[in-house]
Amino acid sequence: MIRTFICCFLIYSSLLAYQGQALELDYSTTIQTRWGINTRNGSTQSLNFRIQPELVFHFDNDIRLTAIARAHSDIIDKIAPGSVIRESYNPASKPLLITHKLELELRELYVETEWDNTWFTVGKQQVVWGKADGLKVLDIVNPQSFREFILEDFDDSRIPLWTVKVERSFGPIDVEFLWLPDQTYHALPESGSTFGFTSSRVVPSRPPADASVDLLLPKRPDRIIRDSDAGIRLTSFWKGWDLTFNYLYQYDNFPVLKQKLSQTTNNIAVTITQLYKRTHVIGTTLSNAFGDWVIRGEIAWFSNRHFLTRSPLSHQGVISSPELLYVVGLDWSAPYDIFASAQLFQSWVIKPKNSMNRDRLDNTLSLLLSRQFLNDTLSIELLVLGNINDGDGMIRPNIEYLYNDDLKVWLGADLFYGDSKGLFGEFKSNDRVVIGMEWVF
Amino acid sequence: MNNKQWKQSALLMSLLLFVWIGGSANELPDGDSIAQRINARDEGVSVSRDVKMEMTDKRGKTRIRETSGYRKYYDDEKRTIIIYRSPKNVKDTGFLTFDYADPEKDDDQWLYLPAMRKVRRISASDRGDYFLGTDFSYEDIKLETRVSIKDYTRKTIGEDVVNDHHCLLVEMIPVNETVAKELGYGKAETCVDDSIWIVRRSRIWDVQGNPLKTTINSDIRQVQGIWTVHRMQVENHKTGHQTVFTFRNVDYQAVIDDNVFTKQRLKRGL
Repeated sequence: MIRTFICCFLIYSSLLAYQGQALELDYSTTIQTRWGINTRNGSTQSLNFRIQPELVFHFDNDIRLTAIARAHSDIIDKIAPGSVIRESYNPASKPLLITHKLELELRELYVETEWDNTWFTVGKQQVVWGKADGLKVLDIVNPQSFREFILEDFDDSRIPLWTVKVERSFGPIDVEFLWLPDQTYHALPESGSTFGFTSSRVVPSRPPADASVDLLLPKRPDRIIRDSDAGIRLTSFWKGWDLTFNYLYQYDNFPVLKQKLSQTTNNIAVTITQLYKRTHVIGTTLSNAFGDWVIRGEIAWFSNRHFLTRSPLSHQGVISSPELLYVVGLDWSAPYDIFASAQLFQSWVIKPKNSMNRDRLDNTLSLLLSRQFLNDTLSIELLVLGNINDGDGMIRPNIEYLYNDDLKVWLGADLFYGDSKGLFGEFKSNDRVVIGMEWVF
Repeated sequence: MNNKQWKQSALLMSLLLFVWIGGSANELPDGDSIAQRINARDEGVSVSRDVKMEMTDKRGKTRIRETSGYRKYYDDEKRTIIIYRSPKNVKDTGFLTFDYADPEKDDDQWLYLPAMRKVRRISASDRGDYFLGTDFSYEDIKLETRVSIKDYTRKTIGEDVVNDHHCLLVEMIPVNETVAKELGYGKAETCVDDSIWIVRRSRIWDVQGNPLKTTINSDIRQVQGIWTVHRMQVENHKTGHQTVFTFRNVDYQAVIDDNVFTKQRLKRGL
């Protein structure tokens, strides 16, 4: 059914374009290559190459058409494009896998136009909500690829969706309405891939040793109207405060993994189903500046989240509960042009059960330090993310040099610490140094 | 001696004659009244313009940015938006500022970085930081050709000639150490053209008293009856880096909708 939507989009954009002459064409191509070296054993963890052409047509009737494509390859098998579970993609949005190590993707294709003081953005696009850095609270409109855990830039890991976005101002309030008929969800790494999850937070507990396991493919909703997501955001500026109020009715982008045990004549059989469940999300964001400080906040209430249990025998291995998720961040313009930013993320399970395999309150801290040198051509950054409950985290130093406007190079590291049960600690054997280069022309 | 040098000599001679026949620096307008005349100068209610930014490091390597921007006054409140057009690595970056008339009220400032796809609130005390790799600070960008009344004490210290134009020399000292640190300036000496009340040259020292930078405003001509600086050049003496802003397509009569100065427009582009 999404194909119907795409056909409508193409007809709509063709009609708009037909009415106007293309006045201007912006064209650019970005070529990026990254080499990741595992610091534990010195082996190459990833060696990827990406080419991303971008076209923007400006028509004389104030219509703008943007098209972004991407070819992405990685010669290392366990981090290659094919190393994610692709059933979570809507077939019409799924990147084209040429080989296991090479994919082609229409990243974005959308038309922007204004009519009667109302802005329409229609097509495959990214919608970014929220004010947090490093972790997401309300930046949940688009699903995400976890092929490289959360190490990719959000702009790269976010999966663009076919979306209708309508924006209009009503006095001091700006209203953004979203309709997302694209049933694509998080792209999770395959078991056994470099960043495949093993933490008991996201992987169901191990079934009995003699049990046979049948992991069913995700059951992805596919009705274009009834299974579409919709949301609204109100934005205002009040007495120095940037405020938004957000509402989203969506399928949670993470599948719910339910386990069913059955006794056969010879052994125990475990069937694991992967279902997507609806949730309402109500949230708000705020930010304001006070002297050297900027305070940022974001809060989201999810009506229906799912959490794994310690035993597959309990509640089919998963319990449901509302969740309250929030972040408070402080940015400090410190002396010597240093920018420092600290954030506290907290997640509350509103109706916890004893069998749940996580704490009711989960705490994550982040610290970012950065400084620019040589008229913003050289930047140094250190990001630390740590989960207090599990005592794990990651440290990401990075140095980037802009050789000229077309070419930048960088050297960074992604270092994990903590227990392998934690979301970060599970990857501690994946510590790596990354050398990258990006050329734009 | 060429024609330009002749003109400068003649002007200096006139100045000396003026002093000799009884004039003195004491009779020059005081610093505060000069600042007020600068800020009272007609800048139009609104303006649209394109700015070419050329940044050259001490080795001579130049980076060029093309931007478009709007500025509009709402009584004494000034709103400014600047969007980068090129090159690709900074394209669509945007800066929005609300500069309030109340000196006690901090400005509100936002930065849109396309790589993050988010409009980010930035602290007004970042005003001493350099604006996106240029040698102008955020404060310089906000003030344009005006001067800050609240941040400095001023004293007229004499006269000079810049590019054949007679100027009044005004020494400006930050009102306190906190402001000095915020601005990154320990002292400024501006040379103000007293025929059109535009700063033609600023010499700035850092908080430690070392020469920091020199700004030269030139190609000053009238557009739609308003005196307009078309070239601003600043040289950073510490780094050897230099920035030149060249203003084009200046239009004080362009109709600028109020919704241009919004975070939505910052994100969407002009």
